[in-house]
Amino acid sequence: MLKINNVSKSFAGLLAVDQCSFAIREGTISALIGPNGAGKSTLFNCISRIYPVDSGEIYYAKNRLDLLPPHRIARLGIGRSFQLTRTLDHLSVTENLALHTAGGFGSHLLQRGVTPNDKQRADEIMEFLGISALADLDMGSLSYGQKKLLDLGAVLMADPDLILLDEPAAGVNLRLLENIIEKLVALKEQGKTILLVEHNMDVVMGVSDDVIVMSAGRIIATGKPSAIQNNPDVLEAYLGRNT
Amino acid sequence: MSNIAVTSSQPSPKWDSKQVIPLLLLVALIALPAVQFFGNHNYVIHVVLFAFLYITMSSSWNIIGGYGGFISIGHNVFFGIGAFFSGFIFARYGISPFYTALLAGLVATVFGFAVGLITLRVRGPSFIISSIALLMIFRIVFDRWELVGAAHGITLPHNSLPVEWSKVPHYYALLILMVAAIFLSWSVRHSKFGLALRAISHDEIKSEVTGINVRMIKVTAFALSAFFIGAAGAIWADYLTYVRPNIFFIILIAANMVLMCILGGKGTVTGPIIGTIVMIFFNEFILAQFGASELNIFLTGLLLIITLLYFPEGIVGSLKQRNLLPRFLDWG
Ligand SMILES: Nc1ncnc2c1ncn2[C@@H]1O[C@H](COP(=O)(O)OP(=O)(O)OP(=O)(O)O)[C@@H](O)[C@H]1O
Ligand SMILES: [Mg+2]
Repeated sequence: MLKINNVSKSFAGLLAVDQCSFAIREGTISALIGPNGAGKSTLFNCISRIYPVDSGEIYYAKNRLDLLPPHRIARLGIGRSFQLTRTLDHLSVTENLALHTAGGFGSHLLQRGVTPNDKQRADEIMEFLGISALADLDMGSLSYGQKKLLDLGAVLMADPDLILLDEPAAGVNLRLLENIIEKLVALKEQGKTILLVEHNMDVVMGVSDDVIVMSAGRIIATGKPSAIQNNPDVLEAYLGRNT
Repeated sequence: MSNIAVTSSQPSPKWDSKQVIPLLLLVALIALPAVQFFGNHNYVIHVVLFAFLYITMSSSWNIIGGYGGFISIGHNVFFGIGAFFSGFIFARYGISPFYTALLAGLVATVFGFAVGLITLRVRGPSFIISSIALLMIFRIVFDRWELVGAAHGITLPHNSLPVEWSKVPHYYALLILMVAAIFLSWSVRHSKFGLALRAISHDEIKSEVTGINVRMIKVTAFALSAFFIGAAGAIWADYLTYVRPNIFFIILIAANMVLMCILGGKGTVTGPIIGTIVMIFFNEFILAQFGASELNIFLTGLLLIITLLYFPEGIVGSLKQRNLLPRFLDWG
């Protein structure tokens, strides 16, 4: 479904993503793991074309993502969250959510900014995330954790087929974390495909079908969670030498 | 016949101040020229139509500057384009600007689209500077362009109405343009297009990721904001009976649009209206009190500073934040 082919990306001499290749299967949850600075977020940014790649190709079904502008990628049904939340602080929470629509936001002049339908969907999602009370607040008045949740909520709003989540669980309390994990599994059962960057190994091992391990810009291992857990390369690069 | 439950949370009484007060105001403005039956009140007509002109322009500027966050200090190029376009046609073919004003608006829009494609690539100080540069280029070109009279510009015939009625056609034309410009601003504010624009003003990358074609929306907003400014330029050319680069291509006009929006509250529908009214009537009051001097400029500056000290988001914006905005001014 998503195929990364020899992708490289460097910043002023620093090779952040180095000849990465992997594929993820439709209807599965894959986890992209690796130490801080491994290049995971950069790879996400290449997939959603926020950064142009230096070389390599990215395929989504028959589309070359590396050749499309970001809004076209969103319209293909690819949704993403950001590790550092990017919320629109001067808009209300509902307006923030309403910007995320299936098939990409349609910017019509003759359609209301937030339709009753948008409002209803937003309410459902806030209910699920346990933040219904926030609907009419300005996004800027929320806490970081609440924004992080809404970032996930925004992705759910758009109901994309391919979901890229960059550390959705960071800063989220434990009870909610269970809800989120449940939701991810439910989404997978609906046929969605999920690529997840996550440092919490319980989450990774609990939900993922495949694990991709990155270190210093390179893919050093891919496989089932159980196999990855015992892969000596991974243990060395990711968990430190003395394990 | 139907018994659909009312689900709207807003009560809809027969007399809603939100609609009634603006409507009454509009009726009063339509009736105002009748004062001319009781003597020559050309000064009143002039001040009010001058306010119409600037409300048209500041409400239009607000689309790209307020909702979109692109502070253009060269927006009067569209004013000048409209004026020269219709003025030239009038002088050469005898067709009155009243007939060509909308076409002038269209020319300004098309031009705005082309310019936007180039200048809207950057934001912040770079954009501001590019907007000033655009204005300077226009000034230079029109100062030298013989076909449109170079620095002398174009002189237009007066209309043949008696003096107390001679301003009335401009009054109504500008009233119509103003209402239309406010309606456009309101439509944008409450549409998905406007939501996209407001998202873009905050974070272009995030906006792209939601599927918004950021470049297209920005450029379209820029072009839309040019339309009524261009049309108003045509009417203004006829009003002045001349079109000259040093009247239309001066930064003061654009600066006024920006300051009026900021004073009233940019990014709100009624902010530019209130800001324009306050600035124009304050200025006229000072002029009447102290005569024409630099004093009115100084005091207008002082008014701005003091207002923004107490209303950092502009009058409407800050009142709204404090929940003190009268309902009839709360149009989003
Ligand atoms: N915009 C940028 N400009 C310059 N360098 C960058 C930029 N983005 C990332 N980098 C560099 O690329 C490398 C990979 O960063 P990236 O954010 O992809 O890591 P990561 O795997 O997501 O780490 P973490 O787990 O800490 O989020 C880092 O060395 C980082 O400094
Ligand atoms: Mg990261």
